[in-house]
Order: sequence, then C-alpha cells, then structure tokens
Amino acid sequence: MEQLKIDFDKIIESLNLSNENINSRKKNFNQFIGNGFPNKRVEDWKFSDLNQIISSNIKNLSFYNDLEISEIDETIFIDKFVHNKIVFLNGSISKVDFIHEDDTKVLLTRDLNQNEKFKEVNPLVSLNSALTTGYIGVTVKENYSFNKPLIIYNITTKDLKSTALNLKTDIVLEKNSSLKVINLFDDNSENNFINIVQNFDIAQDATLKNYKIDNKINSNIKYFYNNINLEKNSISENFIFSTGSKFIKNEINCNLNDEYSSAFINGILNLTKSQHHEIKTNINHLAENTKSYQLIKSVLNDNAKGIYQGKIFVDSKAQKTNGYQLSKALLLSENTEFDGKPELEIYADDVKCSHGATSGNLDENAVFYLMSRGLSHQQSKELLINGFLLDAVEKITDEEIKDLIKKMIGITE
Amino acid sequence: MLQIKNLKAKIDNKEILKGLNLEIKPGEVHAIMGPNGSGKSTLSNVLSGKKGYTISGDVRYLNKNLLDLEIEERAHKGIFLAFQYPLEIPGVNTNIFLKTSLNAIKKAKGEKELDAIEFLKLVKLKAAELKFDEKILSRQLNVGFSGGEKKKNEILQMSILNPKLSILDETDSGLDIDALKIVSEGVNALRSKESSFLIITHYQRLLEYIKPDFVHVLINGKIVKSGGSELALELESKGYESLS
Repeated sequence: MEQLKIDFDKIIESLNLSNENINSRKKNFNQFIGNGFPNKRVEDWKFSDLNQIISSNIKNLSFYNDLEISEIDETIFIDKFVHNKIVFLNGSISKVDFIHEDDTKVLLTRDLNQNEKFKEVNPLVSLNSALTTGYIGVTVKENYSFNKPLIIYNITTKDLKSTALNLKTDIVLEKNSSLKVINLFDDNSENNFINIVQNFDIAQDATLKNYKIDNKINSNIKYFYNNINLEKNSISENFIFSTGSKFIKNEINCNLNDEYSSAFINGILNLTKSQHHEIKTNINHLAENTKSYQLIKSVLNDNAKGIYQGKIFVDSKAQKTNGYQLSKALLLSENTEFDGKPELEIYADDVKCSHGATSGNLDENAVFYLMSRGLSHQQSKELLINGFLLDAVEKITDEEIKDLIKKMIGITE
Repeated sequence: MLQIKNLKAKIDNKEILKGLNLEIKPGEVHAIMGPNGSGKSTLSNVLSGKKGYTISGDVRYLNKNLLDLEIEERAHKGIFLAFQYPLEIPGVNTNIFLKTSLNAIKKAKGEKELDAIEFLKLVKLKAAELKFDEKILSRQLNVGFSGGEKKKNEILQMSILNPKLSILDETDSGLDIDALKIVSEGVNALRSKESSFLIITHYQRLLEYIKPDFVHVLINGKIVKSGGSELALELESKGYESLS
C-alpha cells in the first residue's frame, strides 16, 4: 500500500490534471485504500479471490509505468477487413485512426479531465478512476452509422512487468446512430494487472455491437467493467471471447432504461492449464417491454476454472420483460471447476424470465459415432468441442467478426 | 473376410454374447435376426470397436486380429456400422463431417484426399442416387432430421465411404415403405464381389428388398440356426419361440 501511495502521487504529477479531477481521483483513491483488492469474502468475488490471485502471481506490483513509448508492431493488426483504430500500448494511447469516417460525425477526446461517471461501484472501478492514465471518449453523432468497424487494440510489450494499467473508454451513441467495436487484446507481457472500465451510453434507436477478443495466451490478470445504458428502442449486442489470459473477470452492468431496448450478452470461455475466467452480468430491466438474452458456453481443460454469475433484475415498472440466460459447460478433465450462479430478482408480475445451466463431459457415444467414421479421437473431440462452441458464435450478427472468431477457434466450414 | 470364433462379450459383468461363430466371405450378404435382448446390437458394437465390453474369442478380419484395432482403424480398413440410432451432433455441419470422414479414411489408405469441389461433386451424385435432398447436408449432423432422414444419411455415408464390410443395425426400424425401398436400393447398389454385408434386423420386411445369402438366428447370445433366405420367412410365420 505504501508503494501504491507513492505511485498515485507520481501519476497525479505526471498528468496535466485539473484540481477538480485531482480531488475526484483522491476520493476514489481513498475508497480503494479503504477496501483493497476484493477477496472471496465479498459475495461478488466468492469464486475469484482477486486479492489472493494478485498476491500469488505478481510480485511487487507497481501502479506507475514509466516505460518509454515503444513502436507499435503493426503486423498484429487485423488484415481481414478495413477498420478504424484506437491503439493502447502499455496503457497509453499511441494511435487513433478514424480515416474511414466523417470527422464531423465522430467526436473524439483524450482529455483526462472528465467528470466522474461512477460513484462507489466497487473498489476496482475506484482504483481505475484514481489511476487512469489512458482515456478516450468517442461520440457518434445523431443518425450517423459507422462505415467500418472500430478496433480498440490493447497491446502490451514484453518489457512491461508487474505493473498495473488503468484504462478507460467512454462511448456515446447519439440517437439513431450505430457502431461496431472490437476490443482486441495482444499481450506480449507477463504478470501485469490490467483494469479497464468502459462506459456505453446508447441513445434512442441506436445500435452498438461490442465484441471482446482475448485470444493470446499470457499470464496477465485482467478486470473489465462495462457499464451500458440503453434508451428507448436501442440495442446492445455483446460477445466475449475469453481464452488467452491467466485470469479475467468480465463484469457487465446493463441498464435497460426505456421501452423496447434490448441487450444481448453471449460469450465463450475456452480455458486450459490453470486459467481462471469469469463472466458476471447484471441486467437491470427498468422499463416495460425490454429484452435481454445471454448464452455462455465454456470449455474447460486441465485445471481450468470457469465462472458465470448472471443476474436479471426486473423492476416493478418493467412489465412484459423478456429475460433469458443459459450457461453450458464442458468439463474435459477431472480437475476442472465450473461455478454457475444464476439470479433472478423480479418485482413485476407480467414477465417472461428463464435461466438454465448444464455442465458435463463430452458425449462418449458421439465420440464413438465419429470415430466409427474414421476420425481419430482427437479429431472427434475437436469437432464436438467446436460444435458446442459454434452455438454461441452463431449469435454474432456481424459476419466479418463471426468469421474472425471462428478462425481463431479453429472452426472450419 | 470376417471369421468370428467363440466370441463372448460382457458388459457390466453381464454376458451378452455367449460364444458366437460366424464366417462372412467377400461378396456375401448375411442377415442376423433375433428377438430383443438377444445380443444383436452388442455384436455390431463389438465389431466396430465400441469401448466398455470385456471380450474373449477370436475375430479375424482380412486375416488380421480385428480386436486389436482401434475404432477408427477399423473404419480405415473398410468396416462401416450404420447405426440403429444415429447420433445428433449439434454444431457440426453434415457436409464437413462427411468430408472429414472420407478424407481421414483416404489418408489412412494412402490415397489422395478430395478437395472441396471434388467432394461436393461426389456428394451430389450419391445424394441424388438416394433421393436425398442435398440441402439437408448443409444442416447440423442429424440435428432435427426425421427418423427416415437419419437412416438415409447413414446409407449416404456408407455409399460415400464405400466400405468392404457394412454392418446395418436395424436400419429398417422407423422407416416407411418408400424410405425402405430407397435405402434398400442404396444397399443393393453397393453389392459387389468385394463387399460384404451384415444386416441386423427384427423383421423379415427388409430382407424382401435386400436378399441375403444367409440368414442366422441369434438367441441369447448365440447363433442357434443358420440357413438360406427362406429361413427369414419361416421365422416370420413361426416366430422365435419355436427356436428357443
């Protein structure tokens, strides 16, 4: 904690901040200091003891990063389709490129002096607010639809070690606008703690498609907090492809604030060795005729651990809510663990809400069937696993991104 | 082609096959008939290599010990089992599965694998022969297929893989008369001097369309009677009771 205080002062000094922002950071800093990293005694963290995970994986965690800005390795950019780019490199923004869009319709800001949106959400969000070094805000103007997707690259290089990065993005979709975002992680570093807070305000009739791809094996520990506000008749589609990092907790808070808004959260946890990934969602149905849909598919090998905590809250005003969640897990070794915690909290009487969860092994009869057609055990297993995951991948409505993720998984057609 | 001597098979400590003897020569069609629980499906499972059985006895296939071979090796060497209950495999496209299967077998035989175009040409041809709507093949394997479509899909796989020894496990069950005719035509088209068939069935009905060279009656894990195709008719009129 001593180190943290020193690093906090260094960050404040190094950034050109307003007094108001410094005061807000101090408040958030004290909130974090009062709580520390969450441990399993905190209900939301009972399956993922972050305090223990950080202390056993990262020695002498530093919260201040004084690495020189390095070159971006452009070979990692997706070449399957053209796109706009924001590149975070070791926690700082190193490239912003919106050449495919009308620059009068897309407003960008990198000014760190933003009004704080989050008040005491949890200690990690407070920590992020206190220490944010990389920030970008994107506003899509009314009636504007992006021509090409936006990829937010999060790159870390191998000289980054035992460091905490705190990044933040704000995305605002004005009325009847639309945007596709891909958050793509490319980690070449080891043993860091990466904390990313993203806020999405989606106005009436607007559509956000938001995909997160963490596909490269690395030993970093990540916490993502997404807050999504949906207004009338707006749509938020989310897909999480979670398979690369040592530890990830994806937390999504989604507020369906007005009628006919809908939220889709689908995802895949595909884990090996001692990886430990969690998806935690809070879907708040706060108005009539709102819809939410969640499908999470997990494949666990070796000693991996997967967790899905999905909560659907239905306010007394939110009649005619349609809420659905399903989690399916394949446990391919005796030492894997999957924890599912569905929660429904419903205060309206005319709603349709359901949840389901299954976990089990590969169907041996199906393996026999495929092998009897000449496929090896390994081929049969891969085909069945890919088939199992495909169900979730098929929920992606954007074809380019669906194909990209299929290729990453190894699904051939 | 296949010689079975004193084959015994146990599962969960229960003996199902109790000393079965059977010889199938190249080009022959053998039918095995028997009541429920007589061991018919166990025989087809054991021949295709399903795990979970304790097996004794001697099974030689193309002069090699069949029991030493893994499931997929048996398929590579030309054994095909048409399943009684073909499995539904969600998320696996039927065409991709067929191509993977055919190329796995070709590769094991040291033959050139088919590319996508060659494969589609072959599938189109075979599907047309079986009056099988190709559209079904772009769907997930057996998922949502009717009983008849599943069975036709088995025969389609058989005709694409062109096996040496085909085992048909109650392929006729759940088929209406039109489907039965089409399936039988598919099987008959594959009959040749080199390929043999073992047809497992409850009823004589299928054997009206696929005429066997030999009929065997399996009761309580043993073949109790063998004869020509007329034996099937006899069983149909007298039932299995007279033989047990």
